[in-house]
Amino acid sequence: MKFKLIIPGIFLVFCGFFYSGLFSDPMNIENVQVERQFPSFKLKDLMDDSIEYTAADVKGQVTLVNVWGVWCVTCRIELPFLTQLRQVQGMRIVGVYYDNAADAVFGDVDINQTRKEVVQMLGQYGDPFVFNIYDAKRDLSLDLGITGAPEHFLVDVDGTIVWHRRGDINPRIWQDELAPIYQGLLSKQAKGAN
Amino acid sequence: MNPRRKQRLFIASLLFLGLAAGAALILTALDENIDFFYSPTEILHGKKETGLKPKIGQRLRIGGMVKEGSVVRSEKDLNVTFALQTNGDVVYVTFDGILPDLFREGQGIVAQGHLRSPNKVEAFEVLAKHDEEYMPPEIAEAMKGIKHEKPQYTAEQLETLEQKKSY
Amino acid sequence: MLPEIGHFALILSLFFTVALAIFPMWGAQKNIPALIALARPLVWGYFVLASISLFCLSWAFYHNDFSVVYVAKNSNSMLPWYYRLSAVWGAHEGSLLLWIWILALWTAGVALFSRKLKKSDVARVLAVLGFVSIGFLLFTLITSNPFERTLPYFPIDGRDLNPLLQDFGLIIHPPMLYMGYVGFSVAFAFAISALISGRMDSSWARWARPWTLLAWGFLTAGIALGSWWAYYELGWGGWWFWDPVENASFMPWLAGTALIHSLAVTEKRNAFKSWTLLLAISAFSLSLLGTFLVRSGILVSVHAFASEPERGIFILGYLIVVIGGALTLYALRANTLVSSHRYKLFSREVLLFCNNVLLVVALAVVLLGTLLPLVHKELGLGSISIGEPFFNKLFSYLYIPFALILAFAPLIRWKQDKIQRVKKDILLGAVATVFTLALCYFTYSIDNPWTLVGVGLALWVAIMTFVELKSNKQIAKLPMSHWGMVFGHLGFAVMVIGIAMTTFGSVERDVRMKAGDQVELSGFTFTFESIEQVQGPNYSSHLADFTVQGGDKTYELHAEKRFYPVQKSVMTEAGIDDGLMRDLYVALGEQIDDDYWGVRVYVKPYVRWIWLGSIFMCIAAVFCIADRRYRHVLSWRSSADKATSQA
Repeated sequence: MKFKLIIPGIFLVFCGFFYSGLFSDPMNIENVQVERQFPSFKLKDLMDDSIEYTAADVKGQVTLVNVWGVWCVTCRIELPFLTQLRQVQGMRIVGVYYDNAADAVFGDVDINQTRKEVVQMLGQYGDPFVFNIYDAKRDLSLDLGITGAPEHFLVDVDGTIVWHRRGDINPRIWQDELAPIYQGLLSKQAKGAN
Repeated sequence: MNPRRKQRLFIASLLFLGLAAGAALILTALDENIDFFYSPTEILHGKKETGLKPKIGQRLRIGGMVKEGSVVRSEKDLNVTFALQTNGDVVYVTFDGILPDLFREGQGIVAQGHLRSPNKVEAFEVLAKHDEEYMPPEIAEAMKGIKHEKPQYTAEQLETLEQKKSY
Repeated sequence: MLPEIGHFALILSLFFTVALAIFPMWGAQKNIPALIALARPLVWGYFVLASISLFCLSWAFYHNDFSVVYVAKNSNSMLPWYYRLSAVWGAHEGSLLLWIWILALWTAGVALFSRKLKKSDVARVLAVLGFVSIGFLLFTLITSNPFERTLPYFPIDGRDLNPLLQDFGLIIHPPMLYMGYVGFSVAFAFAISALISGRMDSSWARWARPWTLLAWGFLTAGIALGSWWAYYELGWGGWWFWDPVENASFMPWLAGTALIHSLAVTEKRNAFKSWTLLLAISAFSLSLLGTFLVRSGILVSVHAFASEPERGIFILGYLIVVIGGALTLYALRANTLVSSHRYKLFSREVLLFCNNVLLVVALAVVLLGTLLPLVHKELGLGSISIGEPFFNKLFSYLYIPFALILAFAPLIRWKQDKIQRVKKDILLGAVATVFTLALCYFTYSIDNPWTLVGVGLALWVAIMTFVELKSNKQIAKLPMSHWGMVFGHLGFAVMVIGIAMTTFGSVERDVRMKAGDQVELSGFTFTFESIEQVQGPNYSSHLADFTVQGGDKTYELHAEKRFYPVQKSVMTEAGIDDGLMRDLYVALGEQIDDDYWGVRVYVKPYVRWIWLGSIFMCIAAVFCIADRRYRHVLSWRSSADKATSQA
C-alpha cells in the first residue's frame, strides 16, 4: 500500500521548515525603536570632551548610526566594508561608542587607553565615522534597546529610525536589505531639498 | 467476523485509543510548558504583531537590559529585585537565588518566571547572555579558540585571515 | 607538505567512494561478479586514504603546524600533547574528518567480517555505505576543509583550545558519540540493501544485529560521558538539560534501543520485518538529522557548531537525498517483505512491540520538543521555548507502562503463552517488589509519589529480571546474549533509580553565607570555613574551604570562583564529594558584599547511579555481541578458507 509514502512526505514538510529556518536570521529580532524618533541624548565626543552632541546631530541627513566598541571582533571585521560604504556611497556614518559592560565592571575604564585603541583600530581597518559619540554610561544604548554590538540604525532626514540591524553589515546585507532602503531615503531627501 | 479479524480490530482500536490518549497528553503538557518570549516593551504594550499582552500568572521568558542602579538586594537572604529595560519601558523582576556569573547592571539577561502584576515578574531562573556581541556564525566559529592568550598576529596576517572569513 | 598529502588523500578517497557506490551496486543488480569483487578493494583503499588524512591532521596538531588555519584556531604550543591531539575534533572541520574516518572504519569492519554473507549482498551494503560517505566527503572538501593553509603569513602561535574543552571527558566523548552515530549507518546500509534486493530473512537480522548493538553501546557510552561532563564541569549540578544538542544524540539512541529489540524478534522469529527496516532507517536518519541541527546552527544552543547557511543547505540537500530517498524506497518496497510468522495477542512478540511503540512515542516527544520552537518561529508565531517540565512529565508517564511491560516480557514465551503459566513468578516478583519498596519507603522516608513510582517500577524491573534468570533451568548454560539482556535491563533499573532519587530527593539550597556560617541540609552540616584569594596561572580566584559533617564523618570540599582576566570570563568550579549513595556539592555564587557570598549547597542522593546504569548497558552490549552465534557469523575467513584450514 502506498499510504507509507506519508512518511517521506512528513519528512519533506520538515525539510521545508529547515530550509526557511536556515535563512531566518536569529539577529533579526524586531527593535521597537523602528519607525520612532531617534531618542534624545546629550553626550560627549569620544575623542574630545569639549564637543557635545544631541539628537539634532544625527538629523538633517540620512545617517547610519553604528553602535560599536574595540572589544568587539565583529565590529572590527565590518570596519573595512563600512569604510567602503562611506567612500563609494558617500554614506554618513556616526559611531556610538559602547564600552563592554564587563570591562566597566571588572576594572575602571581608562578613556585614554580606549582612545589609543580606537585610533589604532580605525587606522588599521579604516575609519567610516564622521564622528563618534561616547556613550559613557550606556544611556543612549539602553534607550535604543541595544542588546549587543554591533548594531545599526538608519535614520532619515527628520530623525526617524527607518531600519535596524543587529549584527554586522556585510555585502550581502547591503545588497539585500540596506541598499534599497538607503537609496529610497536618499531620493526622498533630494526631493525634500528641492 | 472471524476471530482473526476480531483480534485485528481489537488491536487496531487499542492502538488508536493509545495514540489518541498519547496525543492528548502531549498536547496538554505542551500547552502548560510553552514559554513565550517577551521584552519589557511587549509586556507593557503587547506584542508588536498581535498586540497580545501576557496574562497575570502566565509563565514566560523576559529578556532585556538590567537598568543601572536598579539592583536591590535583601539584607537577610538572596532575594534580589532589579529592573529590566528595553526602549525606556521598565519591568521589575524579583528572584530568590544565585544570580549567574555574568549578571551585571547594564548587561542583557533573560529571566524565566511568572508574571505577577502588569509590570512585575517573579523569576525562577535568570540567565545571563555570555556575550554582548553579535557574531555572524562564521566569525563566532573562528573566534571559538581565543581564550587563554590573545592571538599574536601581525597586521598583514590578520588582514589575510579576515579576507578569508568575509566571503 | 603533510597537510597537502592529507588533503590529497581526502580527495582521492572521494573517488574511491564514488566508485564504491556505483560499481558494486551495479554488479549486484546485473549479477556481474567482476564488479561485485571490486567492493572490498575499494573499501580498503577508502579506509587507508581516510586514515592517512586523519593522521596528517593529527600530525599537524602534534607538531604545532600553525600554517594550517584549523590548527592555528584550535591549538596552542603550550597545550599538552593529549589536548593537542584531541583538539583535532575540537571544532567543526576536524570533527567532520573524524566522522569520515569512523565511517571508513565501520565500512572496513563490515568488509572484513562479512565473508560468510552472500557476495552480492555485501556488495550492496558496502555500496550504500560508500554512497553515504560521498556526501560527507563532498561536504568536508567543499565547505569545511581542515587542511586550509594561512600561507604566506602564519601566526607564531595558535589561539588555543576552549578551556571548557580541555578536559578528559571531552577527549573521549566525541569519538564515542560519533562511533555510535556513524555505527547506525551499518544497520541503515543493511536495510537499504534488503529493500533493493527484496530479500530479508532471519540471517539478515543475524548479520545486522551485532553491528547495531556495537553502535548502540558506543552511543550509550558517548551520551553518558557527555552528561557526566556537564555535571562536574558546567558548574551547577545538572546532568541533563534537554538541550537541543543533547536531544540530537538522544533521539538516535531511542530509535536504536527500539531497533535492537525489534531486530531480536526479526532474528529469532522472522517477524516485524517492515518495522525493523523502518527503525534501522530512522536510527541513522536521526543521527544525520542531529548532525544537521547541530552544525547548521539552526537551533541556537549552548554548544552549537555555528556555521553559515551555505553549509546548512549542503547538509539539508544531503539529508533529503539520503533520508528522503531511503524513506521513499521504504514506502514503495517494504510490502514486498512479508513476515510469515504468526503470533497470538499474549506473546513476547506483542509485548516487545508495545515497548517499541512506547520508545517511538518517546522519540516523537523529543522530536516535537526540539523542533517545535523552530516551526513555531518559521510560521511567524513568535519565539517560544519549551520548558524541561514538558519532557520530564511525558517521560514520567511513558515510563510507567514501559517498565511494567519490560519487567515481565522476558518471562513470556514467543508466539503464544498463557498467564497461568507465569502467574506464580509474576506474583512472587510483585510481592518482592512491594516488600522492597516498603523497606525503602521507611528507611528513606520517601514522600514524593513520583519517586515511589520511579523507584518501585525500577525495583520491579530488577526483581523480575532476577526471577526470569532463576526460572531458567541451567543458568551456567545461558547464552551470552541472555546475560546481555539481564545486564541491559538491570542497567535500566539502576539508572532509573538514580534519576528518580536525584530528581526528587536532591536537596538544594541557595544561601547567603560568610566565613564561619553553617547550614543544615538533610542531615549534613555544611560549614563555610574560610575564603581566600588565590592566583592561578592565567586566572585569579576565590577559593572557599568547606567542611561537611554527616554522621560521624567529616568531608572537606573546595569550591572555587575563577576570573580569567584576558577573556573576562568567570568560571565556577564546584566542590564535589562523590559517593555511591550521595554526592555532596558546593558551588560559590556571587560575592554579595565584602563578607557575604551566595552559596549553593546540594545533597544529591544516588546521582552516580545514573552513570552506573549506563555502564551496565554498555556491558550488556558487549555481552550480546560476544554471543556464540555471532562469533560464527562474523568470521573474517570465508567458508572456503575454513574448509581448507580444517582439511
